[in-house]
Amino acid sequence: MYSYIVRRLAFGAVTVVGVSIVVFVVMRVLPGDPLIAIFGPEGFTKLTAEQRANYMAELGLSDPLVFQYLHWMRDIASGSFGRSFFRSENVADMILRRGPLTAEIAFLSVVLSWVVGIPVAVVSALRPNSLSDNLSRFISILFLAVPGFWLGMLIVLALLFWFGYRAPLANVSLFIDPLANLQIVIGPAIVLGLGQAAYIARMARSSLLEVIREDYVRTARAKGLSGRLVISLHALPNALLPVITLSGILLGFVLAGSIPVERAFGTPGLGYAMFSAVNERDVFVMQNLVFLYAVVFVLLNILVDLTIAWLDPRIRYQ
Amino acid sequence: MSVTQPNAVIATQPVSRAAELSWLRRAARGVRLFVRRSPMSAVWACVAAGIIFMAVAAPVLAPYAPLKSDFRRMTKPPEPPHYFGTDQIGRDTLSRVIYGSRASLTVAFGAVLLGTTVGALWGLASGYFGGRFDIVSQRLIEFMQSFPDLILAMAIAMALGAGMGTVIVAIAITRIPFGGRVIRAVVLSLKELSYVEAARGLGASHLRMMARHILPQCIAPYLILATTHLGVAIIIEASLGFLGVGIPPPMPTWGNMLADSLNAGLVPPWWLVLFPGMAITITVLAFNLLGDGIRDILDPRLRGAVK
Repeated sequence: MYSYIVRRLAFGAVTVVGVSIVVFVVMRVLPGDPLIAIFGPEGFTKLTAEQRANYMAELGLSDPLVFQYLHWMRDIASGSFGRSFFRSENVADMILRRGPLTAEIAFLSVVLSWVVGIPVAVVSALRPNSLSDNLSRFISILFLAVPGFWLGMLIVLALLFWFGYRAPLANVSLFIDPLANLQIVIGPAIVLGLGQAAYIARMARSSLLEVIREDYVRTARAKGLSGRLVISLHALPNALLPVITLSGILLGFVLAGSIPVERAFGTPGLGYAMFSAVNERDVFVMQNLVFLYAVVFVLLNILVDLTIAWLDPRIRYQ
Repeated sequence: MSVTQPNAVIATQPVSRAAELSWLRRAARGVRLFVRRSPMSAVWACVAAGIIFMAVAAPVLAPYAPLKSDFRRMTKPPEPPHYFGTDQIGRDTLSRVIYGSRASLTVAFGAVLLGTTVGALWGLASGYFGGRFDIVSQRLIEFMQSFPDLILAMAIAMALGAGMGTVIVAIAITRIPFGGRVIRAVVLSLKELSYVEAARGLGASHLRMMARHILPQCIAPYLILATTHLGVAIIIEASLGFLGVGIPPPMPTWGNMLADSLNAGLVPPWWLVLFPGMAITITVLAFNLLGDGIRDILDPRLRGAVK
């Protein structure tokens, strides 16, 4: 197990370095002048050559690319992540202030996706091709096609129309006012949770259908266990392994999905910050946030892999 | 020579007609198989075809020009002349939804074709040659997959600047890893087969090996892959538009329309939210289910399971 953990972490470290290079290449090296990105095409043409050179030097953009990359790494290592063009706070403060909200949304949505997805899958798999199976399959296929941010907009509108209710727009910490905090977080979490639940229900259903045909499940039935016990004690634990892996992959869906969904709900989380950064053409904030999201995604997937290895000896001893 | 040539001309004609006929018949049989095996997918295939028709025939179908604003009818709810209502500068929502299908489908097809093809060729090469090239390729693909799709697409679209071309490229890049992985796995399993080994034994060049012996076997998995990614591409395009890094404004796209509705005031008018989103949902649903149907038919493993 320990050698597996070490191997996985080493791979993870290589991936994080690779990811940082990809982010750097995308944001700084790809064709497209950063000054055009900042000032817009019209603003850019109004700058004189001298102004351009000054701005480039001031932003550290006239250094060789390798130096720029190393500077960025130094900023990250020092924990400040550099600063934004348009805001006085540095990126690290922004992440600390807004991050918890997005983390809560992600966590709640994952919990919700399991709470909704697994029971639906069990009901489906126990009576394949029954009315309830077909209905739940249709709903999950439907939810795979519904864009989360649109569902979010509809929820906001419906609550306003029929109840005159709007979730508070200010950022409230969980520890100061849990109720207000929940009101902010619950909408995006439900939307993202249902989107994931559709994938999870589909996966869990097919994996359960496969496991139920196995000999050991038949043995459990034959020795007289009740259907409920056979499912919950024998079939489910094995059937859930691929679902855990899927759940890890879906974290990417949550992290990315939270950007438009937070925009739809007006939630002041990190996703909304990313939306603002894109629209203000704030290259540095964007670069750091993209890197942060990717690193979080990589780390969470390592965690998922380790969990799987812990649960499934076949992987551990490979 | 002079004697055989007329014969050859006579001989080729019926053969070519027969080939054409059998091609038609094969296509017809394919369609019949599709309808019989998954009638639901066939229905959704018709919906998808309808949406493609809507995009092509947009100028004929749309009752108004998508960019023409009517300042006497601003932000009006759905009522007879404007069945889907009008937006805040009096543009007809129905026409804009119809025209929006053009952007969505162009981007989806363009990005998926570009991305999965590049990925598939990359996977073909890395699976076929193996060795160091394969190891480096695998790492690169892993790095690319460490980004959630939408975030990578956002970053690329932002760096390249707004435009339809950049949106296509941005989404295409996020599709490359999928193509690479799937096709590489196929190639790795094919490489072990004896007919491939025999071809190599006969002295076939690398290019010939890949093009003649391995590539044809990759077509079915490639088609499955491409169709299943169309829906995702449409959702990413809409999200990019919604976040303001998609195709720039005057052009009507479903994502842009949803973004515009939020700018309409404190409370977005419901008709500006409902209809573009429904268009996205129905389109994605149709292409997803069509993809499922194509997978059921082309995937030999599933084909065995159905019987």
